[in-house]
Amino acid sequence: MNRREFLKCQATGLLWMLAGGSGILLPKRIMAGTVPDLAVVKGNPAAATRAAVELLGGMKQFVKPGNRVVIKPNMSFPSPPERASNTHPEVVRVIAAMCKEAGADRILVLDHTLAPEELCMENSGIREACKPISDKMVFTPSDESLYKATNIPNGMSMTRTDIMNEVLKSDVLIAAPVAKSHSSAGVSLSMKGMMGLIYNRRVMHWRFDLHTSIVDLCTVLKADLTVIDGTRVLSTNGPRGPGKVLNKNTIIASKDMVAADAYAVSAFEWYGKRFKPGQVRHIREAHDRGLGRMDVENLKIKAINL
Amino acid sequence: MITFRRAVQIFSLILFLLLLTLAVLSTDTPTPLDLFLLLDPVLIALTAISARILAVAFIPAFLVLLVTLFFGRIFCGYMCPMGTTLDGGDKLFRPQGKKRPQTGKLSLLKYIVLFFLLGASILGVSFVFVAAPLSLITRFYGLLVHPVLAFFSNETLVLIQPLAEWFGMDTLMFMRITTPRFATQLFVLAFFIALFVLARVSPRFWCRNLCPSGALMALVSRKPLIRRFVSDDCTECGKCAHSCPMAAIITDDPHITLHEECIVCRTCQNICPENAISFNGVKVENTYEKKGLSLTRRQFIYSGLAGAATATVGLTGLNSVYGKPGPGQVAPYGLIRPPGALPEMDFLAQCVRCGECMAACPTNTLQPIWLDAGFMGLFSPALNLRRSYCSPECNMCGEVCPTDATRRLSLNERMWAKTGTAVIFRRKCLAWEQQKSCMVCDEVCPYKAVEFIKEPGNRVPVPQVHEEKCAGCGDCEHCCPVQNQSAIVVTPMGGIRMSEGSYVEEGKNQGLNLSIRPKSAYDPRPEGEDWGKGFAPGFEDDNSGGD
Repeated sequence: MNRREFLKCQATGLLWMLAGGSGILLPKRIMAGTVPDLAVVKGNPAAATRAAVELLGGMKQFVKPGNRVVIKPNMSFPSPPERASNTHPEVVRVIAAMCKEAGADRILVLDHTLAPEELCMENSGIREACKPISDKMVFTPSDESLYKATNIPNGMSMTRTDIMNEVLKSDVLIAAPVAKSHSSAGVSLSMKGMMGLIYNRRVMHWRFDLHTSIVDLCTVLKADLTVIDGTRVLSTNGPRGPGKVLNKNTIIASKDMVAADAYAVSAFEWYGKRFKPGQVRHIREAHDRGLGRMDVENLKIKAINL
Repeated sequence: MITFRRAVQIFSLILFLLLLTLAVLSTDTPTPLDLFLLLDPVLIALTAISARILAVAFIPAFLVLLVTLFFGRIFCGYMCPMGTTLDGGDKLFRPQGKKRPQTGKLSLLKYIVLFFLLGASILGVSFVFVAAPLSLITRFYGLLVHPVLAFFSNETLVLIQPLAEWFGMDTLMFMRITTPRFATQLFVLAFFIALFVLARVSPRFWCRNLCPSGALMALVSRKPLIRRFVSDDCTECGKCAHSCPMAAIITDDPHITLHEECIVCRTCQNICPENAISFNGVKVENTYEKKGLSLTRRQFIYSGLAGAATATVGLTGLNSVYGKPGPGQVAPYGLIRPPGALPEMDFLAQCVRCGECMAACPTNTLQPIWLDAGFMGLFSPALNLRRSYCSPECNMCGEVCPTDATRRLSLNERMWAKTGTAVIFRRKCLAWEQQKSCMVCDEVCPYKAVEFIKEPGNRVPVPQVHEEKCAGCGDCEHCCPVQNQSAIVVTPMGGIRMSEGSYVEEGKNQGLNLSIRPKSAYDPRPEGEDWGKGFAPGFEDDNSGGD
């Protein structure tokens, strides 16, 4: 390194320090100090959802005016809310309403359903619940022309998949899964839920390693905000059920998908037992690959009861 | 100007297409969507003979014959969707500026076709599907035009997607139309290309010369009550004879009408420069009568015998399940009939292969087959469960079947109408063979007949079918992520085929325990049922978890 380079380097450093000092970088630091990593709220679905997002600093932390937002709930099965195989319609409605309040330009609720689309939108109650906000909001794209081939640069098992156009075009992705067991993946939470935004999820079962490819997928579909609906927890027989439903009245919110999933694993009983987050391989791998943190005991958690 | 007849024809065709569209779109049908099929005299008469049944539903076809007796072949001229379609095709394909030759004796062919079919029917074998006009035209629109239209509509939606997005029309942007796919389209396509090309030989070539329903109606309309009458004003200019689409007027003497060929289209009446032609009651004295062409007794007997002989060849074919089931019966491998299908021989005798059930099948699993069930089973419906599953809450095939070859069942009965049983091919199964964690078959099974169990030496749970809970709906086979042949396949084993009686009772007698996961009701499993297996599927043991 010669003198010129050394000076340049010094100057750059000085500039950054000045920028920080003048307050350009400061607000973020301050927020980081007060906003919890995980917000856990007990209450009825609508109120708890709103409170959980508010604890994270409100929806304006995630959604800027004019943003295009995609909300990904679970509505893959034609079953009603009490079966807990789909996200509670009230949770979805409140998230959508908060996005609108934050000034979102376009809000879509999307899922590539397993069961017939109409039945899913109807029986889950999600389309009906979102109607007051907009009647053109809940869609179940299934045609390949609505998807676009996308590379997964950091994929270890799956390196390419077709993702919904609307998701690729969106500014903000919000994962809004229901907390449920899944007989292949252990649990189906925000990370597993991203499989509902791609065209071919079967291939993740037979060609790729399911857990590793879930993590691969989440490297490109990393939710900006995760709101896990634990108002009802499908503790056994997921993902479709019917199974044992635990009424937990809990909403878990975080901007870290892995942390939210990890907390949900440890917070609820699965098949009558307690598990550590690391016992779900895709959560453990996501943690190891730096996608998020599963060591919930080291995270800042704010829990309130309404 | 559109004549009265054209108006009726178009109305009739639209009604036919409307009913077919309803069958395709609706999932619940209080209306008689099979109405037009029930009007086809040969389709119904020969099915009654081959299946040895009489049903109230057969009355409309009988009425058509009765009407024909009094008013001539007005069904052909005004109502038949096949005739109207061929008239439309005629406009497109007829040779320009050339006169088409009169085909004369070819019109006897249709009687040969009729008696051929009759001969087979008497032996209990139905071949009506190769020639009954309503069967053919329903297949033409339902299995050929319908998917083509769906395909183009969808491509249009894809094409206009950027526009819809630009204008913010989200509903339009996300809208897609699924194209149904069908087997044996090639036959329907070739058949109708042939019919349209034959328009170059003569108008309504099919109706004149080949249609067995036309033949049957011709037999009863030799002297209809209302018939063509030519007055003495006739100058024998011959215009009428040349314009007659059915060659029902003798060219040498236009006074003479072959009433059995006449479809009362009244083209002659409209074209006559002398206004000499009228259609009147028989009381008008008509001195010009001539007997039309008839088959000789020998031709009649030979065509019947040929039909019977062909039927016998069918009955003695390897795949024919004639008689009681037992050793040596080589039932068609892997052939799954729709739920509620009659026992195979009755089914084949009764099914007219109109394709209505296949067009109406909401999951598109119901497909016409080629020779999988021998040539007696040509074009009959079978489930292609790899294509899609057969919904346990759907009985559209039974609802729309004009001849009840597939029974109309209540939804509870339908739910118990077991079509087969799923079998797992362990060497193909991801869980069994590759130890990959996959439970798609369990996830989709509406009957909850697949259970995942812990197998020693396998790190993932593996699927197992509970035969008594499986109704053969094939959702597992359809969704199995294994490529090509599924690792779980529905076989006809255990399928219930009954011509009468309750599937629920029969199923319970056989020890079946069929119940479906409710679509909308909250149905928690009884406390403890899924417990105590000692593992939670998908989770890893504690020691493998990194902390």
